[in-house]
Amino acid sequence: MIAQVYFWIFAAIAAACALGVMLSRHPINGAMSLIGTMVSLAGIFSLIASPFMATLQVLVYAGAVMMLVVFVIMVLNCAKDHSTPLFDGAGLFGVLPAAALGALLVRVFVGLDKQATVAMNPQAPRGDVDAISKTLFGAGQHTGGWALLFLAVGILLLTAIVGAVLLAKRHLDSPSEPATIEGGH
Amino acid sequence: MDTIPLIHLQLLSAFLFVAGLATVLLRRNLFFVLMGVELMLNAANLSFLAWSRVQSGASTMEGQVSPLFSIAIAAAEACVGLAMLLAVFRSRESLDTDAYSRMKE
Repeated sequence: MIAQVYFWIFAAIAAACALGVMLSRHPINGAMSLIGTMVSLAGIFSLIASPFMATLQVLVYAGAVMMLVVFVIMVLNCAKDHSTPLFDGAGLFGVLPAAALGALLVRVFVGLDKQATVAMNPQAPRGDVDAISKTLFGAGQHTGGWALLFLAVGILLLTAIVGAVLLAKRHLDSPSEPATIEGGH
Repeated sequence: MDTIPLIHLQLLSAFLFVAGLATVLLRRNLFFVLMGVELMLNAANLSFLAWSRVQSGASTMEGQVSPLFSIAIAAAEACVGLAMLLAVFRSRESLDTDAYSRMKE
């Protein structure tokens, strides 16, 4: 019972903050709402016995990724965005696919087995560091687990870092002013 | 026994995903497009973890491991996406997606 109470509290916060992301005016408000969604999702993760993913959610998402987003919003100081309207007429075409996807997902999930509940008993295997690392690196298995994919993720992150540094540099090859590249101002 | 119905978790995940998709499709600010993508990835993580709790046997932990890669990809996406936003903002001085509708120059 107490788990359901906590779940409804976290779910209400997450849903309200998701609406806040969709409807807020300034990017900082949207980023703060997104952090609220991520933190309450971390609460739900630990509620369904995934403490490792809850920790990672707070550390990586709410900590690193959103810190980067807030940092960039503050660097681009004119992100005030007074001229850009919140929505426009062309956005009406986006309502249809979103509503269709929502209806499809609800249709699928309502058709699920009603008796399938998430077990909260301590005997069920928890997603803690011990169990996840054994699955990840294939301890006691013949397949080797997910180790190759883990290495690939390391290469992906390295590539992303190098790409971000190259993209954020002001001029890549030319020592000249960036105005010559843009041709106008 | 203290249980949370699976359908509640999945419906919350579906709501977050649709909210993220609507943010990507409807908003015109580039920051909100990126944040909508993050919201969709979060919803997918919740769905993974909720499904992994109703599996039995050896496949229980698979759903606990998959969000790890999703989070790594989200971190890489935010890193490159924000760098691209910075680079593209220098050329147009605007955050409106309509300002970037021309591919030339």
